[in-house]
Amino acid sequence: MKAVQKLHSRRLWLAVAGAVGTGLLAPTIALADPVHTPVTDEMLLNASRESSNWLMAGRDYAGTRYSPLAKINTRNVKRLVPAYSFSFGVQDAQNTTPIVVDGVMYVTSSHAKIFAIDAATGKQLWAFSHPLPENIGKLMCCDVGNRGAAVYGDKVYFATPDSHVIALDRATGAKVWDVVVGDYTKAQTMTVAPLVVKGKVVVGMSGAEYPTRLWIDALDSETGAQVWRRYTIPGPGEPGFDTWGDTDPEIWKYGGGSTWITGSYDPQLDTLYWSTGNPNPDWDGAGRKGDNLYTNSTLALNPDNGEIKFHYQYTPWDVWDFDGVNETILANINGRKVWLHGDRNGFLYNIDRTDGSFVWAKEISKVNWATGFTPEGRPIIDESKVPTYEHKAMNVCPASEGGKWWNPMSYHPVAKTVVVPSREICVDILAGKSDRVEGKYNLGIAEADWIKGHGQLVAFDATTGEKTWTVQAPSPFTSGVLTTGGGLVFAGTPEGEFKAFDIKTGEELWSFQTGSGIVGSPIAYTVDGTQYVAIPSGWGGWTGWATWGGKGGSPHLKDNRKGGTLFVFKLFDVK
Amino acid sequence: MKRLLSLALVLGITTAYAEELTNPLTPEPEHIAAGKKLYNSTGCIACHGNNARGAVGPDLTDDEWLRKPTDQMIFNTIRNGRSGTAMSGFAGDITDEQIWQIITWIKDENRKRKEPKK
Repeated sequence: MKAVQKLHSRRLWLAVAGAVGTGLLAPTIALADPVHTPVTDEMLLNASRESSNWLMAGRDYAGTRYSPLAKINTRNVKRLVPAYSFSFGVQDAQNTTPIVVDGVMYVTSSHAKIFAIDAATGKQLWAFSHPLPENIGKLMCCDVGNRGAAVYGDKVYFATPDSHVIALDRATGAKVWDVVVGDYTKAQTMTVAPLVVKGKVVVGMSGAEYPTRLWIDALDSETGAQVWRRYTIPGPGEPGFDTWGDTDPEIWKYGGGSTWITGSYDPQLDTLYWSTGNPNPDWDGAGRKGDNLYTNSTLALNPDNGEIKFHYQYTPWDVWDFDGVNETILANINGRKVWLHGDRNGFLYNIDRTDGSFVWAKEISKVNWATGFTPEGRPIIDESKVPTYEHKAMNVCPASEGGKWWNPMSYHPVAKTVVVPSREICVDILAGKSDRVEGKYNLGIAEADWIKGHGQLVAFDATTGEKTWTVQAPSPFTSGVLTTGGGLVFAGTPEGEFKAFDIKTGEELWSFQTGSGIVGSPIAYTVDGTQYVAIPSGWGGWTGWATWGGKGGSPHLKDNRKGGTLFVFKLFDVK
Repeated sequence: MKRLLSLALVLGITTAYAEELTNPLTPEPEHIAAGKKLYNSTGCIACHGNNARGAVGPDLTDDEWLRKPTDQMIFNTIRNGRSGTAMSGFAGDITDEQIWQIITWIKDENRKRKEPKK
């Protein structure tokens, strides 16, 4: 019944009759005016069952990026053709995941823009642009991108590179509130897609390539007022403060710990899971001997006050920029409540989400910085792979981008399969001493030479952690991944190819050239019963791995073509 | 006479404005070395990569440029940034002379790249 009501309320056609008298020659104007049904807590809690919609970046609170839609499937995907394309009007990293609510798409782009469009036709309903300060580019390590919006009630929320969080009226695009949560001049910047939990807009920060102390904020969805802030690096007297060594008393103020990937939420456990990034300086660990809590970890948080319930740390004392900020996907596997996390350090993790205990970790790509794990899940380090000022660590696998880079993986809960965008690229690293100045890079690197490798898409049986298939490609898969009820896996490449694979075998079934490299994430949704698949295209972000040092990891991607276009597909239908 | 004087003045100013900026530094090893050091310490390396072969930003050592890579164009881009892109201006961070040192190093990298491989 609800579905029927929504179908009728989704579009309210207002007929404005200009005709009078006979009306024979008078124009009649019909305006499509979508009704913006408020997004409720109930809708967000049941987002996985809102089959026509895509209500948050990870699609549901578990962050599966799985759509149950099956009209487009392994048998007919070859008939997939463009329904429309939509230009953002700007280039650089198009890292976004679009949101769809009842036939309206909210999609962000690089350079702090957001658009509302008719999800069936691509017609722009409104556009909002936040003017950025002129010097923002040098205060962001990895391009002026954005990873998506969030919706709740009658508002849509997004974060900007200069650390504004902005709420807009979903119907008109008018600004409702605009709060500043960080100081961009100190490289406290934002690219995150917010997550709305229990009426709070939760956001994270970028900036750990600079001397920063970063955090997660929860804001009141009605006003933007801060409800709580959780710094990811403990201050004096807090648990974990003693994990930063004793050589640098100020290090806790500048140790990084970014939070730029959207977290997950388990309503039964009432726990928010949010991952954290690398310590600063990235590759120089000399001044921060210790585990460097809570960097490279997933924090289990009380969503009401931001208190840490427990944590799991993927890479203690990270000196490789492994940056554990990647997403957690919540799954119930073999009767156990767990999270799955593909890390840049090369491992796919299965962690018990009731207490943070280690279940297993499996290699996504070749790993040699660690030789295994203790029973408690602590990695056992190969000291020859630790870069110092004197020792150039050779052929460290994987390089800083993984394994699995930040681009989100997807979990198919029916097939119990997790599909990971990946790469096989290694690196030689010599650490270096760099100066600590706020607003200036502090990488701690003297030399880095990425070694030419290749890309891969890897499927795992989530019940065992065994690989079921691997698709090799010349370049890393740099998009997020979508899995569907139609048995499909969608993913994109730096060459601009948007591809569909069979989730059972990895067989490539369909491909479309989008014209620019893909670093955004695909979604699926329906409007009036027609299924669509959307993908943002536009190369950018940190791409040093491709060409930096030596030959580079993927030298053929030198000066790869930029862009800024959303492509939307549906099945070709002969009428 | 007054009109002629005004015309001459206008032409003079126009000529002065039209004059292309050129690198006042010669490609001496000390300028090249200083340029490379500044390239790394200013943060150019983070976007344009090791030896300026490209990363987030484009390769600066090849002949593929959006605008002709004149000294003036490169100087203005480093100093003022390029609107609509991630390239910020560095006027407040480094001096004009330091910008010229970076340019001297970039040009030297370009020259070395064109040398026939032995």
